[in-house]
Amino acid sequence: MQVVREHRDDLIGRVRVLTAVATGLLVAIATGFWFVQLVQGDYYRELAENNRLRKLPIKAPRGLIYDRKGRLLVENVPSYNLMLDRSRAEHLDRSLAFAAEVLELPLDELQALMETYRPIPEFKPVLLAENLTLSQVARFGVESLEYPEFEVEVQHLRLYRHRQQTAHLLGYLGEATEEEIAASRGAYQPGDLVGKKGIEQTYDAILRGADGERVVVVDSRGELLREYGSNPAVPGRNLKLSIDLDLQQEAARWLDGPEKVGAVIAMDPRNGEILALVSSPSYNPNIFARRLQRADWQALVDDPNHPLQNRAIQNTYSPGSTFKIVMETAGLTEAVFNEHTAVGCSGAKSFYGRPFRCWRVGGHGMVNAHSALKLSCDVYFYTLGQKMGIERIARYARLFGLGSPTGIDLSGEKRGLVPDPDWSLAARKHPWYPGETISVSIGQGPVLLTPLQMAEMTALVANGGYRVIPHLVKDARMPPPKRVALDDEALRAVRGGMWAVVNEPGGTAYGSARLPGVEIAGKSGTVQVIAYAQRIRPESMPFKYRDHAWFTSFAPAENPELVVTVFAEHGGGGSRVAAPIAQAVYAKYFGIDYGKPPAP
Amino acid sequence: MQNISGSITGSHPLHEDRPRLRLLSSIDGGLVISALLLAAIGLLTVHSASAELPVDYFPRQAAWVAVGLVLLVISMSFDYHVLLDFSVVLYGLGLASLAAVLAVGVERGGAANWLQIGPWQFQPSEFAKLATGLFLARYLAGLNMRVLELRQIAIAIVIVAVPMVLVAVEPDMGGAGMYAPLLACMLLVAGIRVRMLVIAAVIGLVLGSGVWMFGMKSYQRQRVLTFLAPETDPLGAGYQVRQSKIAVGSGKLLGKGYMQGTQSQLRFLPARHTDFILAVLAEEWGFLGVAAVLGLYGIFFTSGARIAMRARDRAGILLVMGLLSITCFHVLYNSAMVVGFMPNTGIPLPFLSYGGSFTMINFIATGIILGVDIRRYVNR
Repeated sequence: MQVVREHRDDLIGRVRVLTAVATGLLVAIATGFWFVQLVQGDYYRELAENNRLRKLPIKAPRGLIYDRKGRLLVENVPSYNLMLDRSRAEHLDRSLAFAAEVLELPLDELQALMETYRPIPEFKPVLLAENLTLSQVARFGVESLEYPEFEVEVQHLRLYRHRQQTAHLLGYLGEATEEEIAASRGAYQPGDLVGKKGIEQTYDAILRGADGERVVVVDSRGELLREYGSNPAVPGRNLKLSIDLDLQQEAARWLDGPEKVGAVIAMDPRNGEILALVSSPSYNPNIFARRLQRADWQALVDDPNHPLQNRAIQNTYSPGSTFKIVMETAGLTEAVFNEHTAVGCSGAKSFYGRPFRCWRVGGHGMVNAHSALKLSCDVYFYTLGQKMGIERIARYARLFGLGSPTGIDLSGEKRGLVPDPDWSLAARKHPWYPGETISVSIGQGPVLLTPLQMAEMTALVANGGYRVIPHLVKDARMPPPKRVALDDEALRAVRGGMWAVVNEPGGTAYGSARLPGVEIAGKSGTVQVIAYAQRIRPESMPFKYRDHAWFTSFAPAENPELVVTVFAEHGGGGSRVAAPIAQAVYAKYFGIDYGKPPAP
Repeated sequence: MQNISGSITGSHPLHEDRPRLRLLSSIDGGLVISALLLAAIGLLTVHSASAELPVDYFPRQAAWVAVGLVLLVISMSFDYHVLLDFSVVLYGLGLASLAAVLAVGVERGGAANWLQIGPWQFQPSEFAKLATGLFLARYLAGLNMRVLELRQIAIAIVIVAVPMVLVAVEPDMGGAGMYAPLLACMLLVAGIRVRMLVIAAVIGLVLGSGVWMFGMKSYQRQRVLTFLAPETDPLGAGYQVRQSKIAVGSGKLLGKGYMQGTQSQLRFLPARHTDFILAVLAEEWGFLGVAAVLGLYGIFFTSGARIAMRARDRAGILLVMGLLSITCFHVLYNSAMVVGFMPNTGIPLPFLSYGGSFTMINFIATGIILGVDIRRYVNR
């Protein structure tokens, strides 16, 4: 290579210049350090030693939840937590002994707790005790010079005023899981409490607001000197529910107690607003506000009646005779039967070579559309069902919203099942048996729905064929109700039949649901849990073998304002057990004193 | 391989005669000793900085330094002409790894600039910087003229611009910005008219404002704004700069003593084992410590420049100056940032900051510079 012939001297000259520039810059920066460290050193030393900046989070207060009349359902109450900053403790054992004395807890319990905190960095304050009494708070305050490592932290807890009565409705909060934090795109921080169920979960984004932050200047002892800057928290918005606390409590009262398992729903059929939604057995959501006690949780999980389940939307059941509402609307709309078509009932009828019994041993005689609903005559609906065929039945069941979620603003809703031959082949791997159509006609067989779907179906009859979306927030902006392709005359006839169930002598709920001053229309249903032949008197049967009871209804019969659906798991007969609960809810709603004891 | 690079540079082969290798006696003591002392200071400071962190980064950094020393010896033993002949391949690899980062990069702290290979994560931008320096030196070394022509300057700019843009879109503006001094320094050494410098400054200004308006993410703009007026945003990025200044200033002349820095030990200082390690040192060792470290860097630079000036050929000069400019700019920028002169763009301090890829690249660059030096005697 042309080592010598290169323009080497030029290059070397430029290297010299560059080196000088770099050295000059280095000296300039060193001068900068000299200025900051020596000229301004005292100022910064003071800042570092005596005035330290500390970032404090400002928790946004969570929105409150009210019922439709403005009564408070959930509030935030302060709770005092004892935090321990281990890096400030001179002798940890001495600190713990002091804490144990004030808290009146065994020392070894606190020591065991400290063991679990071992992986957490020392400087991070750890939780020693929750829910301190005011005198304990005062004690730690007085001794703060002697024990600066303790800090009492105020935390706002959710207090669900009506505990079990609104548990499934409102849900509860819990610490955000890693998946939830990842999915929230920065809205959740580790340790944040977020809605886990119910309204708290669905409307978490609205209720939670946005946390703020405060930078404060603290001295070397950690005492706050002044604020350096802050970014205020945005409080969560309050929520007004469509729930009517009176109805909610009345319904909850009827389902309170051992062997009271089921659900009650009260809904405005005109717009889908839910006025009451109760599931039983329930749980006290306030236990979730504190760091979970394992025993409490385990008891809830192990309970054979699954109190954590919201039976109104998460469990599906056979509709029993209430399905006759769907059958009759379908039959009349399709003109398979007309209102005057009469069917003779002798107590049983044979289909496909097998006898199907009516619930009434002697039979009902000649039955038409009106009396078939009123008397809940099985033979009438067997006959109608055979003429309709399973495919048409399934189509109408779906028109009533069965087999798909209602769209309520709660998570975990089940879709239920509307069986047809395709489903049979796909799910059961055998063809549909014609005899099953006969069973489905009276709501037995594989049809399954949630109590909320039952209320939805009833609302559709009550409001003249409009599908409303059930929802829990008052004045929510909802899409306009959709008209469903059902014949007006058919719906009118069904409403007449349901009116007769309650108001005409001989109606299946004549004795159990009638209320002076308001005309209720309804339909009862009893779902057999075990076969007929083994039956004995319901009261003497073991609980788990008793029938399920349904009663679904609306009132006033003309221009309905309220739909009430009651489901009692293993409750016994629908008209006997479920109807009185609906009756009580209506009495509360219309303010009627009907002279019955307040609860069974 | 000679033909590959030859076809690009269109010039003469680079090693027609082999220089004789002088042994260890000819190794430049200033460069080696300053680098080793800086690395040792870095290890001590990393240990102090991670006292309150969940992990002590000292053992890991010690391992990186050990690996770095081995790499130093290896890169020194290569004839730099061979390296330059290979530079087009290295450059290609560098571009490929940068492209790979865009496709399958692992995100760390806002920018996806890590590549995951098995259990190893590394930053290709560090490697690409070195490869670009080598390739640019190879190109400019072949142009044996007093002043570069416009076309040659344009080619040099393209060589640098391609990896720079790839890094910028990661987005890592700080990393991309590091290419500018490399280009400027190499062109200056290779020969450029004053008129060209003015034009370059104008273009740079236009490009800069374009990047500001269209190319930057809001957090990056925020950083610059915060730098200009740190008090306006005490909660955000200004917090870091302010905490760094408090740490540095409170160190005063003698410092608070090793592992005694309240700012550092009480976790006020962010990124204290990486980008702000000099602030930890300044707090604990005071101005004397800072002056010592900056002095060592001064020795490193002047030793490097001395090696450049006595290099055997044009290629050697350009190569040393290219590598030196990268290290030098890191040092100047990082120290200026720590003392509050520059916005925080995430540029670490060579030999001191914790970081695997970065530490290794610094030792490799030092090794290459030493390799140029020990081959300086012409054997004829």
